[in-house]
Amino acid sequence: MTALGTRLETRTAAPLGRLAAAEVRWVLRRPRTLVLLTLLALVPVALGIGIALTGGPGGGDRDGPGLVAAVVGNGLVLPIAAMGLALSLLLPLTVATASADALAGEASHGTLRGLLLAPVGRSRLVVMKAAGVLTVAVLAVLVVAVVGVLTGLIVVGGPSGTMITLSGTTLGLGEALGRVALVAAWTVVQLLAVAAVALAVSAFTEHPLVVLAAVLGGLIIFGVLAAVPSLEWLQPLLLTSGWGAGTDALRDPLPLDGLVSSTGRALVYLVLGVGITVWRMRRRDG
Amino acid sequence: MTAATEAPRTASTSEPGAVAARVRGLRKTFGSTVAIDDVDLDVPAGAVLGMLGPNGSGKTTLIRMLLGLTRPTAGTVELLGRTGNDLAAALPDVGALVEGPGFHPFLSGRDNLLRCAAAEPRLDGDLRGPVDAALERVGLTDAARRRYRGYSLGMKQRLGLAAALLVPRRLVVLDEPTNGLDPAGTRDVRRVVAELRESGATVLLSSHLLAEVEAVCSHVAVLQTGTLLVAGELRALLDADAGGLVVSTPDVDDAILALREAGTPSYRAEGGVAVPPGPLEAPEIVAVLVGAGVAVWEVHRRRAHLEELFARLTEEDA
Repeated sequence: MTALGTRLETRTAAPLGRLAAAEVRWVLRRPRTLVLLTLLALVPVALGIGIALTGGPGGGDRDGPGLVAAVVGNGLVLPIAAMGLALSLLLPLTVATASADALAGEASHGTLRGLLLAPVGRSRLVVMKAAGVLTVAVLAVLVVAVVGVLTGLIVVGGPSGTMITLSGTTLGLGEALGRVALVAAWTVVQLLAVAAVALAVSAFTEHPLVVLAAVLGGLIIFGVLAAVPSLEWLQPLLLTSGWGAGTDALRDPLPLDGLVSSTGRALVYLVLGVGITVWRMRRRDG
Repeated sequence: MTAATEAPRTASTSEPGAVAARVRGLRKTFGSTVAIDDVDLDVPAGAVLGMLGPNGSGKTTLIRMLLGLTRPTAGTVELLGRTGNDLAAALPDVGALVEGPGFHPFLSGRDNLLRCAAAEPRLDGDLRGPVDAALERVGLTDAARRRYRGYSLGMKQRLGLAAALLVPRRLVVLDEPTNGLDPAGTRDVRRVVAELRESGATVLLSSHLLAEVEAVCSHVAVLQTGTLLVAGELRALLDADAGGLVVSTPDVDDAILALREAGTPSYRAEGGVAVPPGPLEAPEIVAVLVGAGVAVWEVHRRRAHLEELFARLTEEDA
């Protein structure tokens, strides 16, 4: 008891594990987190139902645009298609919301002050907040992937638990699920890049909406820049220009260059975002 | 109750001359606005120091710099013996309610406090005990499981106080703690401050309710437009400011005239005449009045009140 007392008296910060656990609990109890996760679960379900209604084996309109058409009668492609669709807007919106609430939202509620006064060290605070955002990113992708696999197998069906690749070959259930897991992991990394940039913006403002506007506006501007032919030299700098690489997982043999280069680009954004966040939070007024 | 009310284990605050907090040459500017201008202030250990000042006088800015929430433009801050980059090491022993309570509306009061407790370095093991004790101490036990969203202003303020009292503290900083509180709430704050003082803790309280400060504080500091006008023991300041006589009489005009002839200014006051400190001592004044045929019912020395001291200090300078 005395040993415990002495340790407590000299301790200047709460244990990181307890901070992270409290943060994750807080994130998961937020109604908006639950609403966004529910919306994400609806993406593969809506896609599956739509395909089951209009397509079906034999009667499908296989001339339709790429990925979605490939889902017809090929259920295990559904989670990959759903993740690709969600990555264009709903997934970034989800992690941007989490990042916006993490710092700007806490500042606007006056709760950031409480954390700094506890005190949670400023670098620890970023780690704690990153744990919450990471949890949201992983859960968001998992929801789309898992609901996608289930919807694919149950609603769309397919050639007895196998996946027909875009290259025309057939993969067994195990390898097909491996491809889904690969795309899920790749999507999480892309989302973490978005989240890190959002967190950096969040560290500069006390208006959560500014963070959402910056992230969604940024994605739209990236899209516009990517569409201008004379700005093609910009492509390697744009996070979004690698976001088509998820479809590569549907080819056989698996081409890795697109997945690897887009992951590398995401890691650069991630490091920059986290670095700026830490730099700013060490100086920010509470 | 026990966890929150027991004396702080590390309290060594009663030695004479010790300070819980000290600022020297403190200055803060926001652009061209000077918020705090060269302030030196000691908060003696074990004192209850009331920080007074009109709105915008820099009370909150001073408190924020003391707690390391804002960086000073110049000057030094010492908090429980810690300074500079080490300032945060003092914070586990400091409880604070600054700029109003800050909590999440979608959580209950209790869940909000549990979240605060998770960040407290001085807590370990089950956090529910200290949280429930703090809720009981501020009278929020019945509302603990309701969402913060539905709290009244006074309940929010009480929850903020509970967060400051989660662990035994050596210094408690309360920025306008009675804001939005009803008389019962104000009484509760007064009780909590008294308990803290008995436990040996130092309290720094900012307020613009002068009666409140006069009732609970042992020391005061008066700020005006970023400058410290006066700081010291409340009793000593009031005694220094006291003086003059109040004479109860129905013959006010005769009294003023008689005193003017004797070379002493006076003015009409409630129920009679007030005589500021001057060349004449009390017996001479009474003699002048009686000699002029003024009916003197009662004569007493004027006792200074914080309100007058404050008004004199802040208006003189304005």
